[in-house]
Amino acid sequence: MDKTAKRTKRDIILIIVVIILFGGIFFAYRALAYKDDATRAFVYYGNVAEPIVTIDFVRGKVTVHRTQDTDGDIVYPYVDDDAMTVTLLGDYEVSGIRQIVVIAYDFTARSVQVVRESSPNNICSREGVSTGKPLICLPNRIRVEFDTSDADFIV
Amino acid sequence: MSETRKMILLANFLAIAIVLNIIESAIPIIPVPGAKLGFANIVTLIVLYVYGFRSASTLTLMRVLLVSLLTGKFLSPTFYLSLSGAVFALLAMGLFKKLDFFSMLGVSVIGSILHAIGQIAAAIIVLETPAVVAYLPLMLLVSVPAGVMTGLIGRKFHSVWGIWNGNTSTA
Repeated sequence: MDKTAKRTKRDIILIIVVIILFGGIFFAYRALAYKDDATRAFVYYGNVAEPIVTIDFVRGKVTVHRTQDTDGDIVYPYVDDDAMTVTLLGDYEVSGIRQIVVIAYDFTARSVQVVRESSPNNICSREGVSTGKPLICLPNRIRVEFDTSDADFIV
Repeated sequence: MSETRKMILLANFLAIAIVLNIIESAIPIIPVPGAKLGFANIVTLIVLYVYGFRSASTLTLMRVLLVSLLTGKFLSPTFYLSLSGAVFALLAMGLFKKLDFFSMLGVSVIGSILHAIGQIAAAIIVLETPAVVAYLPLMLLVSVPAGVMTGLIGRKFHSVWGIWNGNTSTA
């Protein structure tokens, strides 16, 4: 009986310690990691280490590095300058057809948002607007990462 | 007689674990694709305490495999995340149960934390990007209350199990 009480006491100590520890990590990470000073956003597709699309917030330019696939007249990734969106082909299939992923960007706000994608839980589009937090669409194998380095623009 | 009983109970536990796993995959609380809170760990924890490590590991692996087959996600990224999380949690819970330092509650919390770490580790390998680590702080924080809940349910069940088991054996 005494041993059980001792173990339960250790349990409570463990729970308090990990909550304080993880809470600290969580808030410290929040404060440090996501600043609104991204200079570029990289869109990655698949397991390729090089980004497929680069969104340069400072220069206000979107660069497509590789093409994915051609569907009639549309070549993916497809950049729409008026709507300020990049459309890619995701890996998620509905009835054997690969679904598109639409990423909206904003040069002045330095933000990116996945506005349209097809996946079971729509996790990455529900993430909303991001200014530094990586957006990961696992079923589509597309992710957006941010870069804060200012090596490309020296004022 | 007791072997038959064990077999039937394990089959029932497996069914419960599968249902819990499918239900929790429909609740995307964590913003990591394919990541789960680990409610199915309740069953792993209970079986670990009732029948030991061997039964618990068989049941957990069966659960991951069957759920992936039922949801059509076998060998998909989600499958690897589930597998890695489940194996990490299982090994951690088995080890800490053996060490006998914590009660069921503490063991469950440790299992839940390792479940989160296991999933992130698998996500890093599957996605080939360390960017997923960004989600680790949130997942760790959420894993603690999830582990406490799992542990409390497991402990309650275990106490009831003792009474029920004692009654049936004397009857």
